[in-house]
Amino acid sequence: MIIVKDLSVERLDKKIFENINLSLTSGNITILRGKNGSGKSTLLKTILHIIEPSFGTIYWKGKLLKKNLYDFYDNVTYIADKTSSLTKLTVKDNINIWSRIFFSNINNSQLETALKTLKLENYLNKKVGTLSLGETKKLEFLRLIIENKKVWILDEPLSNLDEDSVQLIKQTFEDHCSQGGSIIFSSHQNPGIYVTEEVQL
Amino acid sequence: MIKFLIKIIFFYYREYKLNLSGFQDILTNIIFFFVSIFIFIFSIGPDKDTISVVGVGILWTLLLLSSTLSLRKFYQDDFENGNLVIMHLNGFSFGFIAILKTLSNFLFVQIPFLLSIPIACILLNIANDKIIYLITSFGISSFILSCLGSISSSMNLMNQRNFLLGSLIVMVFSIPIIIFSVGIINMEESFNSLINILFGILLIVFAINPWASGLCLKLSLENK
Amino acid sequence: MKFLVNPAKFNEVTDYIFKPVLILSVLLFALGLLFSFYLSPDDYQQGSTVRIMYVHVPSAWLALLTYATMTLYSILALAFRIPFGFIFNTAVAPIGAVFTLICIISGSLWGKPMWGTWWVWDARLTSVAILFIIYLIIMFMNLSFENRIVREKVVAVFILVGSVNLPIVKFSVDWWNTLHQPATISKLSKPSIDPSMMIPLIIMTFAFMMIGLAIAILRIKTEIISRKTNLS
Repeated sequence: MIIVKDLSVERLDKKIFENINLSLTSGNITILRGKNGSGKSTLLKTILHIIEPSFGTIYWKGKLLKKNLYDFYDNVTYIADKTSSLTKLTVKDNINIWSRIFFSNINNSQLETALKTLKLENYLNKKVGTLSLGETKKLEFLRLIIENKKVWILDEPLSNLDEDSVQLIKQTFEDHCSQGGSIIFSSHQNPGIYVTEEVQL
Repeated sequence: MIKFLIKIIFFYYREYKLNLSGFQDILTNIIFFFVSIFIFIFSIGPDKDTISVVGVGILWTLLLLSSTLSLRKFYQDDFENGNLVIMHLNGFSFGFIAILKTLSNFLFVQIPFLLSIPIACILLNIANDKIIYLITSFGISSFILSCLGSISSSMNLMNQRNFLLGSLIVMVFSIPIIIFSVGIINMEESFNSLINILFGILLIVFAINPWASGLCLKLSLENK
Repeated sequence: MKFLVNPAKFNEVTDYIFKPVLILSVLLFALGLLFSFYLSPDDYQQGSTVRIMYVHVPSAWLALLTYATMTLYSILALAFRIPFGFIFNTAVAPIGAVFTLICIISGSLWGKPMWGTWWVWDARLTSVAILFIIYLIIMFMNLSFENRIVREKVVAVFILVGSVNLPIVKFSVDWWNTLHQPATISKLSKPSIDPSMMIPLIIMTFAFMMIGLAIAILRIKTEIISRKTNLS
């Protein structure tokens, strides 16, 4: 679905990365590997067209991404390295806001099981600001289920998580791929997840 | 199309929830406004005639100062925690986000000031028949202030050192607005023409706002 | 005309131009000061204070001209993606600020004997003061951003938004009934100024222009070099 051709990004005449090629079809998992500061987040943002590439093109469903932007956005979930939940509000409010903004069609029982598997069911009425780093990260993953979209673009999804949660994420990834979804994520360590393509930055 | 409208409605639901949880911030702003009125009166002296002459000017200056106090929060929170990106991915262009945010600032920051004007007028001995002029002129010009605030705070998103610059920009560009809206109250016979001028300024600023803010938002996100 | 938008060409051309411009500005200043102090008559109303005009008016014109060119270069830089516009904006803003400051100070020196106060709140004076503040904000913005790409574009947007002040400065004497006298020289009508005063005024204007140009060339060159070495 996504084809990236000869992508390069420059800032102040300094090359961040150059000549990246990757293609993503349904059922694929692509991992971006690289050291700190090698441009993993920048590449993900470039695919999302938040950063405009200096050279190279990105195609979405055979058309130029630039001309087909909002159709692409309708099919993609992006989770940044920082938490996007509103720290002043409770977990419940955050879930409410997300499910309304994204027209979620999941029902309450589905949500409850998701919360239970993420071990967040006791925190529903707590402010997000009081949760720990790993818990906010897990809450962020709830957006994947709420938005229910095909392409997942995840920036450092495995940092700050314990063993059990990493296993859970692994399971979720496999389920999503078997349903025809596709995932791009970045990581600076070897995650031990089965991937179909690896891009070294 | 209907989906888009629903998205906008729930954008405001989100803003409402956010502002409700930070309601004490808005209240603090208004209390700042009233306390500075007291300080002004103490520094001039409690003479009734003087106060009623300079009252409108004081009211305007303090409204401007207190509404620039909350400028910092205009885009900064959403920029920092990545919600601007999520809104953009949700189908809003950056210029449209700027319009929505400006309206939300008008609703949740400026309207409380608008509601507190009559009380301030009583404190400052401003004649009752002038209050209606004051509220109309402030209603229009506070919307202009929201637009200016949107432009200046989107400019200063990446400026970590000197945020007062943002308030400075708003204050410099608000000078013509103050001239015309204080003129409305002092010259009641030319009310209509001055209102038209203010409205014209509003339309110009409202047209510039999505372009300038959208460009600055995109730039800041690109180089975050 | 390519040297006006291309840094390399600019360096090439200004290497030839710089020394003549500097010499010309010195000569013009000498000539202009000679004219304005000894070879021009006193005004029958204002007496000798009229000589302040020979500094005041050229600096005011150049303050406006500098801002107008900055606006032009901002449009070029933002719309046509010409990075030389950003270089020009950063380099030239302090020059415009200094011209505005000279204009304000000389004006208030003139105002004290003529109007009786250093400062009046009239439309022309206030709008020039705002122009000075806008120049200062541009300079502060250049100092307070960490990221150069964001900084230069944001400053260009600010210059464009701030350019609404230019027509206000220009036409404030016509639109409002102010204490400041209306323009004595305009293209459409015959100037209401005597030729004996006109000559030093024109010479001084060119002298100011040349000195401004010389400083601008120096500053733009340093800006180009510092960008090449990534100092800023």
